[in-house]
Amino acid sequence: MTQQLTFYIDRDSQLHRLNPLTKIVLVFSFIIIAFTGPWYLLPAVLIVLAIIPLSFLGRIQKEYAAATRKLLLPVVGFLFVMQSLFHPDTGEILLKLWFLDISVGSLRYAFLTASRIFVMVSAFILLLLTTHPSVLMSDLTRRGLSGSFAYVITSTLQILPQMRAKASTIIDAQRSRGLDTEGGYRQRVRALLPLAGPLVFGSLVEVEERAIAIEARAFTSTQPKTYLTEIPDTPLDRTIRWSLVVLTILTVGSNLWL
Amino acid sequence: MALIDIKNLTYQYPITDRPALRDLSLKVEENEFLAVIGRNGAGKSTLCYTLAGFVPHFFRGDLQGTVRVGEKESAESTLNEWVLQVGLVFQNPFNQISGSKFTVYEEIAFGLENIGIPREEMHQRVEDIMSRTGITDLGDRSPYALSGGQQQRVALASILVMEPRVLVLDEPTSQLDPIGTRQVFQVIKSMSGRGMTVVLAEHKLEWIAEFADRVIALQDGKIILEGSPGEVLTSPRLDDIGIAPSRYTRAARAAKEEGLWPAGQPLPVRLEEARQGFQRIIDGH
Amino acid sequence: MKFIDSIKKDFNTMTWVLIPVAIAINVVIGQIVVLLRLPVYLDSIGTMLVAALAGPWAGALTGTLSNIIWGLAIDPNAFPWFPVALFIGFVTGWCAVAGLFKNWWKVAVTGFFVAITAAVVSTPIAVYLYGGITASGSSFITAYLLETGRGVFEAVFSTNFLVEPVDKIATALLAFAIIKGLSKRYISRFPRSENVEIEEGSRTNQLVIALIIAIVLIIISATVLTLILG
Repeated sequence: MTQQLTFYIDRDSQLHRLNPLTKIVLVFSFIIIAFTGPWYLLPAVLIVLAIIPLSFLGRIQKEYAAATRKLLLPVVGFLFVMQSLFHPDTGEILLKLWFLDISVGSLRYAFLTASRIFVMVSAFILLLLTTHPSVLMSDLTRRGLSGSFAYVITSTLQILPQMRAKASTIIDAQRSRGLDTEGGYRQRVRALLPLAGPLVFGSLVEVEERAIAIEARAFTSTQPKTYLTEIPDTPLDRTIRWSLVVLTILTVGSNLWL
Repeated sequence: MALIDIKNLTYQYPITDRPALRDLSLKVEENEFLAVIGRNGAGKSTLCYTLAGFVPHFFRGDLQGTVRVGEKESAESTLNEWVLQVGLVFQNPFNQISGSKFTVYEEIAFGLENIGIPREEMHQRVEDIMSRTGITDLGDRSPYALSGGQQQRVALASILVMEPRVLVLDEPTSQLDPIGTRQVFQVIKSMSGRGMTVVLAEHKLEWIAEFADRVIALQDGKIILEGSPGEVLTSPRLDDIGIAPSRYTRAARAAKEEGLWPAGQPLPVRLEEARQGFQRIIDGH
Repeated sequence: MKFIDSIKKDFNTMTWVLIPVAIAINVVIGQIVVLLRLPVYLDSIGTMLVAALAGPWAGALTGTLSNIIWGLAIDPNAFPWFPVALFIGFVTGWCAVAGLFKNWWKVAVTGFFVAITAAVVSTPIAVYLYGGITASGSSFITAYLLETGRGVFEAVFSTNFLVEPVDKIATALLAFAIIKGLSKRYISRFPRSENVEIEEGSRTNQLVIALIIAIVLIIISATVLTLILG
């Protein structure tokens, strides 16, 4: 079966039912709030009081936890360690390793940066888990995003798994014909061509026919587009969006005030 | 007035040294089923692309002569306008999947969204065409999770749903197995029966004999044979231009050479016709 | 208006259909390279292809989207480096417009410019993510070495600073090899096909020149880095 390249989990939840733009506003306002908030614990608070509850609201808490564990924690953990070691030290030195120090100041900075990145990536994960890319792109196109751009996003999501599947087939076929994918340096470099060659040229040749096929379906038509499915945008959506904008402005503004 | 009127068409692709079509003139009536045969490189695909507007708008190059479909002339229209009149289906089913839609239903509606058909009508048209092409139960599937024959029917549906006046098909069954071939021809036949004008470039002579009203044979970009399927598909000139007649024709010709073939019995292209002829031999005529 | 028009020039239907394929090429070849355990990335071949055939804006878009997709599908560590991917496409595109994608040695030079750009763009990202620069030489180098986003150990102790020029020059040469393998008719479909009107000339000569230039450039970059180190 063709693998999918979407995070989307098909379930009914309050997050799922929100308009895609609302969720996008949510992502960006969280990012801005996390990155401009004047308090070093603010991103962490956002995680505990907003992100995690939202994952429950979206009924995707398990998938979110799994994504966090697999994708997020390694990155953020690494980042935290690096920042602690390499950020300019301020305050009391807590630990010394070779020529590297960990101080209170660098720990705080590391925590802040790590939690900011955590918020940013988490927000995107929440968006992607609860929004089908097709619906997301369709909504954005209705609001003015270029249809061609939306086409690129959605077709990449389908064409990439196709190519990967083809690549697997070619790799297996070549292996069974004696292609050496282990072995010495030169062997491995030589192995690259018969693997990559047919794949690359085959897929490039398709480009022309696919372009003709979509032109035949009026891809470049300048008519105003219509949409097959309805994507509801409720008063609740609008309220949420405006509230988020206000919160964001307040947060950014608080920097000037403090 | 003929629906399609091509006059003195000469066309050369960019960066090539010879024209692909030479001084070609062709008229096609509304609801006619025209078949185009010819060796690879004879110009069948170029003719299909010309009818569909891709020559010259997509391929550019040098076009002389006129191509008229309905009231519009190819040189004076945009490709966008043209594809609303003439639909094109070609060989490779996989390459006709847009890639941007996750279900067959949405894939079929893709063209309608582009031309601004209202939602209600979209659903109606999509469901209608799916039932006509026999793919209603594939609606929720990914277009990539289909057999070649199914994908080709989706491609057909995606074009037919835009309700063109002319359907042009460039070897639509070349990459399909016999079942897929039959399914596609059934759809084409039913469309023709409902009034669609069809231009089909094909190698499979027996299928042409069954459905086509008229056949033209191309060589080096020129039409060198034109007539009813019975005439063209059994013509001795076929061998000259590199097209193998059907096995039934060849069998009958062999019989004819032996003096066995009944006088006045037309040479067969298809099994049915062959059976008639050979039956007569057996019955002792 | 003129600016937007010049951006739009990069994009026709063929470009839009090419980009997803280019992204897929980036990902798949990038992964094959990992499978074969070669010490390079080769994950921007598609980006450079688009940049040469369709222009800098299309190239930049391809790079960015490719980075995002890589982050989603394979390794989210890649996300912060999207400006690098963007500039790979952007710089290659402008080099191609300037005529630097027409024979082997010119392409090698393009690859080198891209490598420099990649190094320059990725350092601030690494610095932000992994630590501040102090006046001390050692943390600067470490920050620079971390720009490839690899593990601390490798970054500090391996000769990674040679990888970028090798990788980007190889990527450019491979992209050029692919373009050479495409028919002129096919290339003419793309908006900036004039960028890749291949200059004829003895193939061997050009390859030799390309090799020499590549080696020279790599030696230069190694020297520069040794100086910083010292």
